[in-house]
Amino acid sequence: MSNGKNITITVTRYRPEQEDEPVEQSYDIEFQEDWVVLDGLNHIKDHIDGSLSFRWSCRMGVCGSCGMMVNGEPKLSCAAFLRDYYPGEVRVEPLNNFPIVRDLIIDMTDFMDKLKAVQPWIIREEEKPVSEGEYLQTPEELKEYKQFSMCINCMLCYAACPVYGLETEFVGPAAIALGHRYNLDSRDEGQERRQHVIASAEGIWECTYIGECSVVCPKDVDPAAAIQRSKVATTGGWFKSVLLPWGKK
Amino acid sequence: MMSEQETEHKAYVRRVPITWWLHNRRYFLFMVRESTSVFIALFILGYLYQLFLISRGAEVHDSFQESLRSVPFVVGYVIVLLFALYHSVTWLGLVSKIQIVRIGRLTVPPVLVGLGAYLSWVVASAVVAWMFLNLK
Repeated sequence: MSNGKNITITVTRYRPEQEDEPVEQSYDIEFQEDWVVLDGLNHIKDHIDGSLSFRWSCRMGVCGSCGMMVNGEPKLSCAAFLRDYYPGEVRVEPLNNFPIVRDLIIDMTDFMDKLKAVQPWIIREEEKPVSEGEYLQTPEELKEYKQFSMCINCMLCYAACPVYGLETEFVGPAAIALGHRYNLDSRDEGQERRQHVIASAEGIWECTYIGECSVVCPKDVDPAAAIQRSKVATTGGWFKSVLLPWGKK
Repeated sequence: MMSEQETEHKAYVRRVPITWWLHNRRYFLFMVRESTSVFIALFILGYLYQLFLISRGAEVHDSFQESLRSVPFVVGYVIVLLFALYHSVTWLGLVSKIQIVRIGRLTVPPVLVGLGAYLSWVVASAVVAWMFLNLK
């Protein structure tokens, strides 16, 4: 049943087979108090314009697929309520700093390459056999890295980071935060293997600590803090290697 | 799924506008913080010049020092002081987010780390001020 309230959603359209550059298209839809931006987009796709393209999956802020610029801010569109913008217009654009493949879909290849480069998994010098059981960890050891393990790879932090926009070789917030997460993990022995990426000129030293990555992070990962702490740890490690070279593994 | 080659040919690349730092209050404040370094660098250059004048004799140095009491210099120094304070306060405000301090198995709460940083700054500034005021 109609409630008589409408809201305008203006969406970036880019259809490479018919446009040289992105254009905007507005849709008037019925305003629903409990709808998020993703619901609005799905309504448009299902009932108004089936050609509109965007990524989404879980609808509950877990998969990290539906990141978009909503009124200029990087947001998970499944967590951005239309009521927070109503009666104003909602402008939906693809995530900043990434090439646009189609409409709201960005090319995430660069991010995936960088994520892989930091080797965000547990590295052991020697794997023990399964029969010897799990690698045990105390609650205190878990607490060390837990915050940084909450990253869902939504790339909002990359869209918010002007350094990444200007210097695309920058490894970027999420990849560094995840590398730092594994460096802090008591079960991991791969810090030295990650350092050539994390501590490179394109890694932590490229970051100027604008901090916007942490502001937009939907999971409070605080990648900016991870990068700065990684700087402190790397600098400390360097001094140790110079002053105490015999202490190096 | 689009092939890599197809993506490469058709993806639209947007450039970051030169005015990116005006799009958001936090970006703007970041740029203000970064630009404070310019004013602090100017102050240091002036200070180095003053040190250089010592080698030219007491008369030249005193004459320059007297000129520092003029209104333009005083206004300039007040501006530098404000920028230095802004830079220091914001920089020290980040310490508690960056530095994890542990005493044995106890992790010091970030608030105390931040207060410790500010307190150290005040003490260090007071020591430097005392040294300069008692130099003669």
